[in-house]
Parts: sequence; C-alpha cells; structure tokens
Amino acid sequence: MAEFLLAAALFVLAMVALGFVRILRGPGDADRMMAAQLIGTGGIGALLLIGAAMGVGPVVDVALTLALLAAFASVAFFKAVTDGQPDDTGAAERE
Amino acid sequence: MTRDGNEGPTIGAALTRFLGFAALWGVLIRSGQPGDLAVGALTAAAATWASLRLLPPATGQVRFAVLAARSPRFLWQSILAGIDVARRALAPRMPLAAGFVAYRTGLPRGQARNTFATITSVLPGTVPVADDDTGMVYHCLDTGQPVTAQLAADERAYGKALVPGRAHG
Amino acid sequence: MNLADLFTVAAVCAGAFFFLAGSVGLLRFPDALTRLHALTKADNLGLGLVVLGLLPRVDGVLGGLKLVVIWLLALLASAAASQLIARAVKRSEPGA
Repeated sequence: MAEFLLAAALFVLAMVALGFVRILRGPGDADRMMAAQLIGTGGIGALLLIGAAMGVGPVVDVALTLALLAAFASVAFFKAVTDGQPDDTGAAERE
Repeated sequence: MTRDGNEGPTIGAALTRFLGFAALWGVLIRSGQPGDLAVGALTAAAATWASLRLLPPATGQVRFAVLAARSPRFLWQSILAGIDVARRALAPRMPLAAGFVAYRTGLPRGQARNTFATITSVLPGTVPVADDDTGMVYHCLDTGQPVTAQLAADERAYGKALVPGRAHG
Repeated sequence: MNLADLFTVAAVCAGAFFFLAGSVGLLRFPDALTRLHALTKADNLGLGLVVLGLLPRVDGVLGGLKLVVIWLLALLASAAASQLIARAVKRSEPGA
C-alpha cells in the first residue's frame, strides 16, 4: 500500500510539474499565478499522500502551511496588479 | 449563527466567531496540553479580532448550520464541475463556448453576495469575475448552458444561509 | 488487499485522474479565464478524492476531520484566489 501511495504522490507531483510548463509559456501574470495555485493544491495532495505512505503525521501540517502560503500569494498578486486603481469589486473596500 | 441576546450584535458575533475559530484550531492541532490550549485560545482571540475588523457583522452574516445542511448539494456540484472540466480538457476537439454571462441577483453587495460568489465558483462551468450594484458577471465555459437558471436555483438553495447586512462601501 | 485498501486505491486513482485533467486543461485551454476553470474545478475535486481515499487510513474520527478541514480550507483559498485572479484578468483586458 505504501508503494501505491508513493506512486500516486509522484504522479500528482508530475502533474504539478506539467503545470510549470504553463509558467514558462506564460503569457500573462495571471497564468503564472494560476500555476502557483496549482502548486498549492497539488502540493497539498502530494504531501498528504507521502505522509500516509511513510506514516509521518506532521507532514499534514506542512500541507496546511502550503495551502496558506498559496492563498497569500494570490492575494498579494491581486494587490500588486490592481495597485493604485479605483476598486470596483468590493473586495478591498473596507481597508 | 442566530443571535438575538440583549448584549448586542457585536458581542454575540464575537463569541460565536471565537468558538468557531477555537473549534477549528482544536481540529487542526489535536492537543489537550494546557500550554497548547493557551496558545489556541490566544490564536482564536487574535483571529476573532481580525475577522471582526475585516468583516464586521453589519456587512452580513453566514448561517453555517444552514450551509452545512446544503453540503450534499455542494459536494455533488463539485463532482459535476470537475467531470465537466475534465471532459472538455481531455476531449480531442475540446468543446468550449466560453464567454461572459450577466446575472442579476437579489443578494446585496457585501458578505452575503461574496459568499454566494465563492460557492458558485465551484459550480460547473462558472467563475464569478465582477459585480456591481445591479448584479454579477460570470465567466462561463459554455454559454450554451442554462447558466442564469442554474445560478437562480443556487441562489434559492443557498440564499437562506446568507443574511444580508447593511450595504457597505 | 482488504475492502478499505481497495477503496483507497480507487479514490486516490480517481483523484489523480482529475489532477491530470486539471493540468491538461491548464496547458490546452485557450485563454487565462478558461484555464482558471480547469485549475479551480478539476484540482479541487482531485484533492477531495485524495482526501476521501486517505480517510480509512487515519487514526480516529478527529484525524479524518482534520483531513476534511484541510480540504475545505484549500477549497476556500482556491475559490477566493480564483475570483481575485479572474477579476484581475477581467480588469486588465475588459473585452476578454
């Protein structure tokens, strides 16, 4: 079973690597951000699988931190590209 | 999340949120050590302070119990959405008819509509891209689908969980 | 191989399939907004199925609850991020 879970983790990581191709091809900042989001979701999946395969519980907490960082990266991206523009989305109105 | 005590909305909302954050912390950390519990209480208090500052109760409320009751619908829609995207991505001819669809909603701007936008972002073929005073704009993978009817059905299904607040901004 | 292991294998394989579909969509879809669909829908379902498959292997109800909460947090983060990315794209190219 551990072998299967490790293989599944490797497969998910390979899919994340495939997402990296989108980073390289671009063309826009949004595509790069999406690939970062892919690394977040795929990274959590791979880490959970590795943790289950090796019996390492704390890996789950690493996955949780990764989820948090991916979310922060997206918010920072939004702030960066919309910086100085009037906001019409309601998302940043309550500052 | 209903609160109608005499102590006023903010204290009731703060208490509810604190308990929610504390429960979340408990599930994630899973420790009963006194030191850990103290850190958890501090963390939950800080999270409550931040959430009251960023999302004051006056901007609207979410009834999580009602939302939880809708979770079978939500899970089923997540599955359909994943299958829909996978089908389009893997088909050789890649059937896409992408475009924007405007949706007029009865939900006022604020937390109620933001939560609705978050829920509907997992619906098959829709991602919310903008909203203004009259409604919302969705980007759809297939504009041939009955998108607005689907969204209206979801507004009916999830709307009871979304309590509009005073309009803000 | 017992029934629980069979369940794990089936769910994790299904999850891996949706990660594959998400990455293929990310590469093949023609513009940023359609690619966003691939990312948010397929990958979140993939992660959900992986979590589902690992549920029989955790120690106790709380361990399972933790996995589910991690999925929900990832879902929430992804939904919020996808809306922000979509709004940024829409704003930078209003005719897109």
